[in-house]
Amino acid sequence: MPKINLRGVEKNYGANAANAVADLDLDIGDGEFMCLLGPSGCGKTTTLRMIAGLEHLTAGEIRVGARVVDSVTEGVFVPPEKRDMGLVFQSYALWPHLTIERNTDFGLRLRKMPKAEREARVDQVMKTLGIEKYRERYPSQLSGGQQQRVALARMLAVNPEVLLLDEPLSNLDAALRLEMRAELKRLHREFKTTIVFVTHDQWEAMTLATTIAVMSEGQLQQVGTPNDIYDRPANRFVAQFVGNPPINIVELGNGKSEVSRLARQYLGERYAELGDAGSIGIRPESLRLADAERGVAEGAFSGQAEVTGILPTGGSWIIELTAAGEKLFMTTHQSPEVEVGDAVTFWVKPKALHVFDAEGNRSEAADRLFRPVKVH
Amino acid sequence: MSSTSQTSGAMARRQAMAAPSRAQRLRYRLKIALREPTTTIGILAAALFAYLIVVPIISMLSDAMRVQFGDERRIKQDVGDLTWYYIERVFASRVSYDLFWGPLVNTLSVAVGAIALSMLVGGTLAWLLSRTDMFGRRWFATALIVPYMLPAWTFALAWTTLFKNRTVGGQPGWLESLGFTPPDWLAYGQVPVTIILALHYSPFVILLFGNALRRFDSQLEDSARILGASRLTVARKIIMPLMRPSLMSAMVLIFAKCLGEFGVPYVLGLPVNFDVLATSLYQNIASRQVGVGAVLAGSIMLIGIITITIDARLMREARRFVTIGSKGSMNRLSPLGAMRIPATAFAALMFLLSVGLPLMTLMLSTVMRVPAQFTLDNFTLDYWFGTDLNTVALQTGILLSPDLWNAAWNSLRIVGIASLTSGLLGLLVGYVVARTPVKPLGTFLRQVTFLPYLVPGIAFAAAYLSLFAVPRGPIPALYGTTLILMLALIADQMPYASRAGIAAMTQLGKEPEEAAQIAGAGWFRRMTSIVIPIQKGALTTGVLLPFISGIKGLSLFVVLAVPSTDVLTTYSLRLVDYNYTQAANAVVLIIAGLAYFGALLGQKLTKTNLAQGLGT
Repeated sequence: MPKINLRGVEKNYGANAANAVADLDLDIGDGEFMCLLGPSGCGKTTTLRMIAGLEHLTAGEIRVGARVVDSVTEGVFVPPEKRDMGLVFQSYALWPHLTIERNTDFGLRLRKMPKAEREARVDQVMKTLGIEKYRERYPSQLSGGQQQRVALARMLAVNPEVLLLDEPLSNLDAALRLEMRAELKRLHREFKTTIVFVTHDQWEAMTLATTIAVMSEGQLQQVGTPNDIYDRPANRFVAQFVGNPPINIVELGNGKSEVSRLARQYLGERYAELGDAGSIGIRPESLRLADAERGVAEGAFSGQAEVTGILPTGGSWIIELTAAGEKLFMTTHQSPEVEVGDAVTFWVKPKALHVFDAEGNRSEAADRLFRPVKVH
Repeated sequence: MSSTSQTSGAMARRQAMAAPSRAQRLRYRLKIALREPTTTIGILAAALFAYLIVVPIISMLSDAMRVQFGDERRIKQDVGDLTWYYIERVFASRVSYDLFWGPLVNTLSVAVGAIALSMLVGGTLAWLLSRTDMFGRRWFATALIVPYMLPAWTFALAWTTLFKNRTVGGQPGWLESLGFTPPDWLAYGQVPVTIILALHYSPFVILLFGNALRRFDSQLEDSARILGASRLTVARKIIMPLMRPSLMSAMVLIFAKCLGEFGVPYVLGLPVNFDVLATSLYQNIASRQVGVGAVLAGSIMLIGIITITIDARLMREARRFVTIGSKGSMNRLSPLGAMRIPATAFAALMFLLSVGLPLMTLMLSTVMRVPAQFTLDNFTLDYWFGTDLNTVALQTGILLSPDLWNAAWNSLRIVGIASLTSGLLGLLVGYVVARTPVKPLGTFLRQVTFLPYLVPGIAFAAAYLSLFAVPRGPIPALYGTTLILMLALIADQMPYASRAGIAAMTQLGKEPEEAAQIAGAGWFRRMTSIVIPIQKGALTTGVLLPFISGIKGLSLFVVLAVPSTDVLTTYSLRLVDYNYTQAANAVVLIIAGLAYFGALLGQKLTKTNLAQGLGT
């Protein structure tokens, strides 16, 4: 049974404003680690805050388990303090006037847990997160990473059914972030809580989530496993938002460049039924260069280009190709054997082509043609 | 696996989720709005402030247009009828010069003179303090602000103690006793009022202009110099244009303060019939000319509103300039060279004139029987603790007089309760403004609590008198009670209190409270264990600042207080009126001490520079 259901959820901050969240339907399963991913202003934090009850709906309904916690039509609103959730804020929002211990046991005291039990629970949570030495300190005396752990401990102490995390790692430095990611994953395994995690960092979403929901401009774009999102982006937005360096997009319809012409010709010759295709996307790592031994693979899409830049990124390289004015980026893990100024032939296997229709949605016809095995 | 997207599935489900009707939306929003006491508190506060702030002002303005009791015959209309009589009387009649135009000219000329003088003195001091290597800059930076912490008419009393001549009775002034009779123009009226107001308000210039100078990036100067501009060109083309908003703002503020200033012109203007708008208003109220008083109060209010509007504009402009302050901003000090000692001497002299001399004069005057006679037998502590003095009234030293203790107790009680109330109300207003889902309520509260800022204290007091002098509905006549003083003071202090509260609540942000909410804390619990404990500091400032300005405040009390509800300020003024010079000066010293040490205490408690807060 799905744990959290959002139905037709809409949020509008003013009569004339665009919808911050529009017509959102989302199911979050029990024990799932769900990432809401999207650029800033896409409505992901608003969605999280609506689940928590900190933001009110303009339309729609939210259920947790069998209980309706929020419904405009039914006139139901369960306040945040009665939803039994945990929320870790981006700014941590620790209470500056309370010690770490008092911050952590705040929820337990509210629940009138007996002293001995409460202390045991606080000890356990603090140990799990490695903050037991800071008990008597105040939040301002801790570093960012330590504060983040306290913010987590505070919410985990009450053992909530649902844990909501609003970009909790964005204020940490890179090394600490990696460590905290591993920790979050461990906590998820250990506590088996349902987690909803908001981030704009695709890497974070990919590494942590069991399911990712990609949002843009208040609209849900795609829900799926991290692999789904990367391998089968539902539309151009998802394809372009996920992946670094970003996917190469070649316009078909009105693209005037040489690559566009080639792509049109390629699809037209082999797959006439894809006549409505609007663009194709090529992931940088799917691009190959033809060399003396291995030419262009059978049935591949290919073309001529000039190498206009080689950017080493430590262990891998980004190669900038220019084909009659249009730029394509490819990545390779082998030291490139070409130099800037070389004329090269690039190619892509058909199953690595992402074909989008004129509206930018993934062409299911193309998937049937290119990846017949994967469709159930 | 639903690999591609949920979009198509969502389309199907959407049919089931019908859009809510208007009634449903309204019911849902109402449920949320009323779930927490925030909105209810907001509505109650809005009603309270409407009654304490808006209603008195409207009542007073309507007095200006209605026939007042006792004027029926003269106007030949019934009490309460609409009339232009008072407006005509104030602006276009035989007495309008004495009532309005004369005082207006006096007010304007005093204000302009005070502004010019304080710009000159304060501007120079600001520059010396913030951009030069003058000696003792840190000490002077605090010392030169002190005049603003003392009540303005402290200086007026010191002035009369020194310069009083035979135009008025009572003890002669020091100069007179020494055989030199000061002319009237030096002893009373425009000249001393202008000088005293200039000294009292030059701390404004030092603070506002000094801050702007400190923020000014020396690299801006350097860039111009490198491009070939002379020192003078740099001053004219770069520094002055950038400093203009802060200078203008200081000027406008001083003007607004001069407009409502009552004590100084009352003490120094009365003997030569030098009236300003505030004293003219006071005299009309004192002689029960309610209608004329209302017109005058309305005029003062209007001028005040215009000035503050101009100031708000200028502040916006100033903020536009602030953004140019770059990261590598430099504040280089100009070496004064040979001028270093004269410059320091100038600052010291200004301190002496604006703090040392007045306080010293007042102090000495309270321990001398005959003014300016510096022989040992002339000194006495009788005026402080003596008994069986040979006077008509007040036969004991001031400290033994029950009237003083009564007034002191009134001051502490009235001002204390009012400050505490307004501080708490301010925090509450801040909370509602920051939290209520009903936005218009927040806007209304913010604006209504700011309103008294536009109204000079004396006009506000007149408004209170107009509303509460007679019983209205269930509310009995409050004139002569301490309650009316408290209410007026609370309303008068709300702009500062609510501004402090809003700033504190906005700065705190929603999140600490939301975190508590998520953890399961209800509204009351969040207030007592999260919001108020975190805002302790802000609350202290929000109580202490109004307390200090209330202790030394005069214009509000002078209209509303009666002898039985005397506070320290009105008591000292009464003593002035009865020519108990020593006693009056002693009371003023007590007030000055309370205000100064209160400010120091506040600075210690909140670890902030209160002097800056006092300026606004």
